[in-house]
Amino acid sequence: MKQIKFRAALLILSVLIVSVLSACGSSNANKSNTASAGSDAGNKPSGDPVTISFIHWRGEDVEALNGIIQKFEAANPGINVEMQTMPSEQYQSTAQAKLADASVGDVFTSFPGAQFGALAKAGVFADLSGESFLSNYNPALIEAGKQDGKQLAVPYQLVYNDPIYNVKLFEKYGLTTPKDWDGFLALCEKLKSEGIIPIAFAGADIGPGQLMNSMVMNNEPSTDIFTKVEAGEAKLTDPFWVKTLSQFKELNDKGYLQKDALGTKDAAAGALFIQEKAAILASGSFQLAQNKKQNPNLEQQLLAPITVAADQAKYEGIHTTTFMLAVNSKSKHPKEAKKFIAFLSGKDIAGEYANATGQNVTVKDVQYTTPELQVATAWASKKTLFQPRFTITNADNQKAVTNSIQAVLSGKSPEDAAKEAQAIVDQHLTK
Amino acid sequence: MRNRKLLWLFLLPGLLLYLAIFMYPTVTGLFYSFTNWDGVSPSYHLVGLDNYKDTLTSIVFRKALFNNVKFMIAVVLAQTAVSLGLALLLVKNHRIHVVLRALFFFPAVLSSVSVGLIWSFVYDPSLGLINAALDRLGADAWMQNWTGSTHIALYAIAFVQVWAHAGQMMIVFIAGLQTIPEELNEAARIDGAGRWQIFRRITWPLLAPSATIVVAYTTIQSFKAFDLIFTMTDGGPNYATEILTTYIYHTAFASYAFGPASAGSVIFLIVLSVLTALQFRLLRGNRIAYS
Amino acid sequence: MKIMKRTVLLLYGGVIAAPLYIVFISMFKSSQSFFASPLGWPKPFTLNNPITLFREQPMLQYFLNSVEVTFSTVLLELLLSTLIAFAIYCFGGKISAIVFALFTAGLIVPSQVNMLPIYSLSHKLGWTDHHYGLMLVSVALLMPVSVFMIAGFMKLLSHEIMEAASIDGAGEWQLYARFALPLSAPSIAAAATFLFVLVWNDLLIPMLMLNGKSKLTLPLAMLQFRGEFVTNYPMLLTGVVVTAIPMTVMFLFLQRYFVAGMMAGSLKG
Repeated sequence: MKQIKFRAALLILSVLIVSVLSACGSSNANKSNTASAGSDAGNKPSGDPVTISFIHWRGEDVEALNGIIQKFEAANPGINVEMQTMPSEQYQSTAQAKLADASVGDVFTSFPGAQFGALAKAGVFADLSGESFLSNYNPALIEAGKQDGKQLAVPYQLVYNDPIYNVKLFEKYGLTTPKDWDGFLALCEKLKSEGIIPIAFAGADIGPGQLMNSMVMNNEPSTDIFTKVEAGEAKLTDPFWVKTLSQFKELNDKGYLQKDALGTKDAAAGALFIQEKAAILASGSFQLAQNKKQNPNLEQQLLAPITVAADQAKYEGIHTTTFMLAVNSKSKHPKEAKKFIAFLSGKDIAGEYANATGQNVTVKDVQYTTPELQVATAWASKKTLFQPRFTITNADNQKAVTNSIQAVLSGKSPEDAAKEAQAIVDQHLTK
Repeated sequence: MRNRKLLWLFLLPGLLLYLAIFMYPTVTGLFYSFTNWDGVSPSYHLVGLDNYKDTLTSIVFRKALFNNVKFMIAVVLAQTAVSLGLALLLVKNHRIHVVLRALFFFPAVLSSVSVGLIWSFVYDPSLGLINAALDRLGADAWMQNWTGSTHIALYAIAFVQVWAHAGQMMIVFIAGLQTIPEELNEAARIDGAGRWQIFRRITWPLLAPSATIVVAYTTIQSFKAFDLIFTMTDGGPNYATEILTTYIYHTAFASYAFGPASAGSVIFLIVLSVLTALQFRLLRGNRIAYS
Repeated sequence: MKIMKRTVLLLYGGVIAAPLYIVFISMFKSSQSFFASPLGWPKPFTLNNPITLFREQPMLQYFLNSVEVTFSTVLLELLLSTLIAFAIYCFGGKISAIVFALFTAGLIVPSQVNMLPIYSLSHKLGWTDHHYGLMLVSVALLMPVSVFMIAGFMKLLSHEIMEAASIDGAGEWQLYARFALPLSAPSIAAAATFLFVLVWNDLLIPMLMLNGKSKLTLPLAMLQFRGEFVTNYPMLLTGVVVTAIPMTVMFLFLQRYFVAGMMAGSLKG
């Protein structure tokens, strides 16, 4: 008994010591943090510095944005920006609670579609209409941030959600970008016969949501078809979606997607393309820079599958404007927050952001320096459609649609898959 | 034990904290199941039982419930069997046993996000460990699209759940086994009882408290499994791994329907209470030392 | 029998160790060599990943945050729940059953349902973005598990010893500190390791409670890496390894002292 007590006492003692030490340690560390912050503030004029919080989901942009924030703080003494990122899934859960009571996110970002709608309804956006920095943007590209005539948020990034292809591989096998569905199938067949995976498809996560856009763009009878589906005026069992699903199935059944595509995640599909085992990556321009970083020899272009005959093709590709900058309506420092957005909207800063992160931006007249960004710029003159997936405003419906693609890839008939998805959409109609 | 007032003092600090920070918010949360709150807006109004009606008829909710039951059965059976087996093998405090216990327990110290990341990588059809190993062993017929097949994805994740937590449950069993006096086994052996008889008549009944903990905890764990599925498949492909917690999460935070999500939670609570009550009743049957 | 036992243990050991081994060696690979041969030995062997990680991230700060939060939470949790368990043990009858049921009922509540209300309550109390707030919330949320485990084990304590001691004039405090605690030490130790792991790895509550980058715990930090490293698998896996190291070391310590030592000697002693 004595021994136990002794051991227990020893244990508790050691635990206490460690926790006390750690508490000291962290308070020291905090001190050194504030000390460095203090020295930054040393060359600033008097007056309490204001700290604004900036939250977003682009972890990969942190480095580039840190540099920009430093410049902003130097140009605006008295304003500190604290940036915090969360992965996009978490961004939709905890961030919304924190935004709603303004504990973070004086400046924050929003996705277009469902999240924008919900946050707008909750009154989280401060109205930015009439701000002078809006004139820096291409007006057509910031439409997604408007509601009832008010500019509630400013889309910052411009993305082309079209498959990427490996230019050198195409040249090696004498392939050109196809103008119709038969041509696309022939291209895939040729690649397959050469032992190359025609399309790397991240079926487990982003794949269906990305590729569905270019697959459906020429099949759909009108651009508001998904709005009609959600209103009950059209159905997923209509020819446009069944046809799209059967074309997905065709790609899979003929072996044009890599084996086990549904178990492949974003990073692994990207890896197949980066290692040049696959000729096409079914994602979007947002991955161009990442790919290049991992394999500097890559030469990349965009290519959207045309699912109809050449003369029936209405669109050449897809675009999306996202990463919508906004000011929290409950922010205690709205002026400083707007100042920060205005700073980001500057042509030079937007250019710095774009070139450092490899993302195209919606700001006008930006000079892109990398070939990857110029790839996307070339698409500015093409006829592109705003991402159809984002015209589905209910997240359940959106998921039903992308899941029907997974269903056909796992062996369901396009008719059954469409029927199942429509049944879920129907349940939301009655509400 | 006459001083009951003092005992209330023992109880009070924990009880107050628990009621204020756990129970009160939970009840508030459940209240939202009768409203149309979206989780963000400052205003909402009462909608009666609409959320319950919608949830119970929802195709996705039914799939999630069904998946969850399958997931639970797989995890509870496998995890109890594996952890009990390991505990029986490792119950004596040999040096090597202590090392093995540490190794088997180890996955439990990893966060579920880490485990999810590790296994997404292990299961990956092109980069992954399993398919590569099967291929090299000449067993390529066994290669599977582990998390990408609508038929096996749920079980592939159940396997990971067991991989991560069986060692932890093993410790609970070992703790229980070591409370059984060695003399009891010795006596039985002298009386001519075989291994199986000893297990059935002595070990298992005396292990009932540990078994109750393991089974109940594993059941709850398998119902509340969220991080793992969230990191590995997020409910896909085609709802094949959607379980109740991912359903509730998606409804509340992707579809901004906090009211219906809360209704889902209430149903979740009812199902889980019934299940745990049943288990306690079943396991109480062979308990000696628990009265 | 012995061979079968060894084979089973060896096989299970392989199932546990293989994925961990692969993850561990990935730490020493460049991105290119990782994708070229994900399972092979790192060639060339590089320490760039951990070096970059420590250079670019305040890892020590994250570590200390985790240590502070975890230790204080587990200690307070153990204190409160052993007191509760002891009260449950002594009360007996209906009161025990009701109190026990009240706490264990919390076990089945999914955190998705109370996460927003908990957040808004702690925001009103001014607890958000403070480690003590995170600690108090975590203690409350873990109460069901720890009361369930500790009360379950304390129920097994012999009433005779207690009664004998109380006849000898020992008060409730003494019974608690001198008998109940030491006698249930192995189960408290099991509960402690259990809680330790839960708190150290918890993601949801810290995510809800903490905002500032200097306050993040290791799992939260790892979540950020997931965004920052995207397709850079080796870096991501390095993050996994590095965040697991302190817990691994801690666990070896806990394993030896808590589980093995305490369990072996306690009940017979």
